Amino acid sequence: MRETETTTLEINGRTREIAAPPNQTLLETLREHGYFEVKSGCEKGDCGACAVLVDGEAVDSCLTLTGTLEGRAITTVAGLKRGEELHPLQAAFVKFGSIQCGYCTPGLIMAAQSLLNETPEPSDEDIRLALSGNLCRCTGYTKVFDAVQEAARVLREEESAS
Amino acid sequence: MFAEFDLVMPSGLDEALDILAEAGGDGGLDVLPLAGGTNLVVDLRARRVSADKLVGLGRIAALRGIERSNGRVAIGAGTTLSDILRDPGMAEAAPSLVESARVFAGQMVRNTATVAGNVCCGSPAADTVPPLLSLDAELTLTGRDGSRVVPLADFFLGYQKDQRRPDELVTKIAWDAPKPNSANLFYKLARRKGDAITVVGIAVTVAAEAGKCTTARIALGAVAPVVKRAREAEAMLEGEALTPELIEVAARQAVEESSPIDDVRASADYRRHSVHALTRRLLTQAWDPATVGG
Amino acid sequence: MTETESWANVNLRQVGRPLARSDAPGKAAGRTRYAGDYTMPNMLHAKVLRSPEASARLRRIDVSKARALPGVACVLTAADLPDRKASTDIPGQTGKKKLATDQQVLVKERVRYHGEPLALVAAETQTIAERAAELIDFELEPLPGVYDPFEAMKPGAPIVTAPDNVVGQHKVRKGDIAKGFAEADEIIENTFRTQFIEHAFLEPEVGLAWVDENDVINIRVATQVIEHFRPIAEAVGVPHNKVRILGALVGGGFGGKEDVTVEIYLALLAQATGRPVRLAYTREDSMFGHGKRHPFVITHRTGFTNDGRITAVKVTITADSGAYVFLSPYVLLYATVAAPGPYRVDNVHVDAVAAATNNMFTSAFRGFGAAQACVAHEAQMDEAAKALGIDRMELRRRNFLRTGDKLVTGHPIESAVWSDECMIKAWEALGERTPDAGPVKVGRGVATYQQSYGRITWLHDTSEAWVGVEVDGSVVVRSGVTDIGAGQVSALGQIAAELLGVGLDDVTIYNSDSAVTPLAGTTTATRGLYMTGNAVRLAAEAIRGRFLARAAREFGVEPGEVDLAESKAFLVDRPDTSMAFKDLVALCASEGVHRSELVMFRAPFTGQIDPETGQGRVHPDYAYGAHAVEVAVDTETGEVTVLKSVGAHDVGQAINPDAVAGQIEGGAAMGQGYALSEELCYEEGRLTTPSFSEYLIPTAMDVPRYQSIILESRSGLGPFGAKGIGEPALTPVAPAIANAVADAIGVRVFDLPITPEKIVMALRRAEAAE
Repeated sequence: MRETETTTLEINGRTREIAAPPNQTLLETLREHGYFEVKSGCEKGDCGACAVLVDGEAVDSCLTLTGTLEGRAITTVAGLKRGEELHPLQAAFVKFGSIQCGYCTPGLIMAAQSLLNETPEPSDEDIRLALSGNLCRCTGYTKVFDAVQEAARVLREEESAS
Repeated sequence: MFAEFDLVMPSGLDEALDILAEAGGDGGLDVLPLAGGTNLVVDLRARRVSADKLVGLGRIAALRGIERSNGRVAIGAGTTLSDILRDPGMAEAAPSLVESARVFAGQMVRNTATVAGNVCCGSPAADTVPPLLSLDAELTLTGRDGSRVVPLADFFLGYQKDQRRPDELVTKIAWDAPKPNSANLFYKLARRKGDAITVVGIAVTVAAEAGKCTTARIALGAVAPVVKRAREAEAMLEGEALTPELIEVAARQAVEESSPIDDVRASADYRRHSVHALTRRLLTQAWDPATVGG
Repeated sequence: MTETESWANVNLRQVGRPLARSDAPGKAAGRTRYAGDYTMPNMLHAKVLRSPEASARLRRIDVSKARALPGVACVLTAADLPDRKASTDIPGQTGKKKLATDQQVLVKERVRYHGEPLALVAAETQTIAERAAELIDFELEPLPGVYDPFEAMKPGAPIVTAPDNVVGQHKVRKGDIAKGFAEADEIIENTFRTQFIEHAFLEPEVGLAWVDENDVINIRVATQVIEHFRPIAEAVGVPHNKVRILGALVGGGFGGKEDVTVEIYLALLAQATGRPVRLAYTREDSMFGHGKRHPFVITHRTGFTNDGRITAVKVTITADSGAYVFLSPYVLLYATVAAPGPYRVDNVHVDAVAAATNNMFTSAFRGFGAAQACVAHEAQMDEAAKALGIDRMELRRRNFLRTGDKLVTGHPIESAVWSDECMIKAWEALGERTPDAGPVKVGRGVATYQQSYGRITWLHDTSEAWVGVEVDGSVVVRSGVTDIGAGQVSALGQIAAELLGVGLDDVTIYNSDSAVTPLAGTTTATRGLYMTGNAVRLAAEAIRGRFLARAAREFGVEPGEVDLAESKAFLVDRPDTSMAFKDLVALCASEGVHRSELVMFRAPFTGQIDPETGQGRVHPDYAYGAHAVEVAVDTETGEVTVLKSVGAHDVGQAINPDAVAGQIEGGAAMGQGYALSEELCYEEGRLTTPSFSEYLIPTAMDVPRYQSIILESRSGLGPFGAKGIGEPALTPVAPAIANAVADAIGVRVFDLPITPEKIVMALRRAEAAE
């Protein structure tokens, strides 16, 4: 067993000192610390269920070594919530019936958020490209596309209102 | 079960090179550079790869960034696939590379994986390599004792063997942006459209002047132990007008220069068929007057 | 895009509305705990050691180094287990084991498939468990294996399942097949092959077990069937009441979590250590950890008159059962019943057989044999249409079953058969035809189907549910049903809310705990809504009746004049005369009116069919519908793009149209993968595609926007006339795509998946033949 190193991470807005061996992935770290909303589906970057944001950009947490992330900000799907309110992406996924078994949902929402951070007015093709690393076996993606478009619209309206 | 290793995250290039230089030799430490890690972490988990120490490159600011001057494009080794897609000038500076980045894995991997890492992983199916070969890209290899520039076309020595010494890093990839009256295209053939390993990947460059082809590049991915150029097919085209007949002959020659295998994704026979079909298609598209100015 | 067509006009307030599902907000917010998200103090982590060989003898296994590793709590091999077997419990409700489905828990001597478990480890950490598994020293002597069902049935073949590798056989002898073919003007015969496929649910198998102070083995597990507590108890040697299965919301099932997966291993380790044990499969474990869809070889011989009437159908089906029996005989039966398709055929002859091999075992998968049958019968219809010069849809229309017609088993179909209506709607929704573009040829295809809903009638299926109203007017539903993602639980809430006149938010549903929720049977066979929906309906109706009677007394009218809606009781003719639901409930509570009801719903019970003729009743009822697609085929590379894909299904009554549309869209994607890209490859029984980088399910870049069209005949046996949609959504998709590809390129690929390579080779053969 190699030396455990301490890494400082900001997780969902809270700064945490994380002790982890050098071969620990962010997925393992997050689940070990109770962030169960981050799902494990393949542990090799094929399915996207474990996607989280690192400084606003979606990554597969199963492919990311925790020790490489000193000082970075991590957001999980639970960290998107605005107090008691669902984030517009979460609300749209609920409204459009885009969730079935829900196991891929946290990863899909984070990948979609990463897209909208850069592309506030995405085309269907943009959405397809942004979500192609997130496997979903239940929905056929159609209602997911609807939800991302709706959330993008809501977020744009919020942006122009502020 | 994960391999065990130490991890260091230097903030400067010199520091990284010093650590790499400690490696090697008899009884020396086995030290590997860690870029995006999207391949390496999977290999370490499966223990196909082992290392005493990983040198993470993520904090080295000098390796990030894209530069363009006098028609020359240079990307730092930390440039991710998403950086390529985000860069507004890249569609002109490397159309084939942009296309390969678009169909590269999924978003999360594109946000993490680097172009240099994709080149160094040595896979014959690496998607960025045919485009970079079609652009005559050069790699800068840097060690503690200095840098050397190696054409990508000379970089690969065999299956998962290349010219990088264990104490060196690829620090830069550079190429000349395509000239006017030229076309640079890439096509990835796979078993599905999103996030799939390439069955055949082909990039071509065609430059024309006065109705004749002045430069031809045909790079073949996933059909030989390394990504390679079909040099004899290229030679058939240069100096000629690309008639359908000549394109057909060159496409057949490209097949001769491939040496595919059967695997779970496709048979060698289908790969040869596809090299022919796609080379013909891409050369025909490239020779379109609208593209090369015929 | 969803379109709903409703033929009747019923005053429903909750049922039939696209409400946000009750489970959705928790899942969106990341608050939902799946089975793998539970931990306990002092918990151990488990690992299964699997055989790298498909056919071998275990000569020696030495676990001493593994046991000696610090942090290892327990290592179990067959030598540590009493001589008990695991079996497939059919049916869950009665515990009667109808078939020789016994299998060893761990390999004692004979390895029968790649991945068969050799040993179990439990340790303080996952890493230690994995390291210990690697320290187990074993020697396997390779034995001759058999990897093809036809080879397995030849004399002298290695025996995987005694006595002769035949694990299931069904026959249909209806009418006079010789006469039928003699009357035919055209006979079409083809052989179709389907592949092994993987359910590819995103949540790998996972569970957590502990033994409590009453010696009950508690197992919280991702499963479709909590009633596996019976075979689990028998495998570990305790009474049925000493195993409790707690479900959780399940991260996808599709039939892959229908059999026991991690439960017995967990129970054994928890028993042996006295500590909580968690076992989470990796994706690779999952590829080895549950049965796959059966590969079929189907030879279909169909006779037609010149005017397109089917005179006879002769079908031969050979299925690869893999190394153990599991549900193979039943999958084969469904295929047998579905073999001729949704058509009236008087002369039918079916011979179906499932044979054991040293391939991965096969079992339940959405569509359950009927999906494979559909691949064949729908290709036959298109090939016949071509040969006869009759429009593909017209040919189908001339042969569709009508209500009252006899099925292949001789039993009449009693509900609506809206095959034609669905086919027309699906086809029309394709809209304008996309033009060809150079080497890219566009084609269209349609497929119709017959898919049962509800379990086999001689399994005597039942489902129980409890509905109660709290004193404050909030509603509780208790049901053992598992929710595998289709909204099974939310639909029950909608039904209770409808009948009690409250909102879905007013209902809390407790589900899938074998100790405290009434046993509802399995979430399989498109039976959840039909069975448990009816149980909840009956329970809620009973309470509703008592409440209406009490309210009527209060209003001084007859109960029939009162209705419940919007959390009020009111007069149907004078809605202003009303009382709040919670006041009515409080009144009932104070007077001891019974505010809860436990109900058992029973499906039709029959005896078995005649084994020689296949005549009799097999299923409660059937669903009908159609799927239409438009594809573009690149004739140079063989790549297929699905441009449009529309499912139109008569679901009887949609409880939640959004959830129905979700099933149709998800089925469209799964069927697309079945048709085009998915295949588990085995070489001499060894899996060569053990991850999602080799096993390719459709991604967001591979799919069009799917369209769903919901038709409602209100003729089904489910609540409010519902039929079912879980399996029907999938069944016609792959054949529709196969027909569209054939339409585009003029030649047919007879083997799934229709890969680019197979298309190129088929075109090359066609070219050579010209």
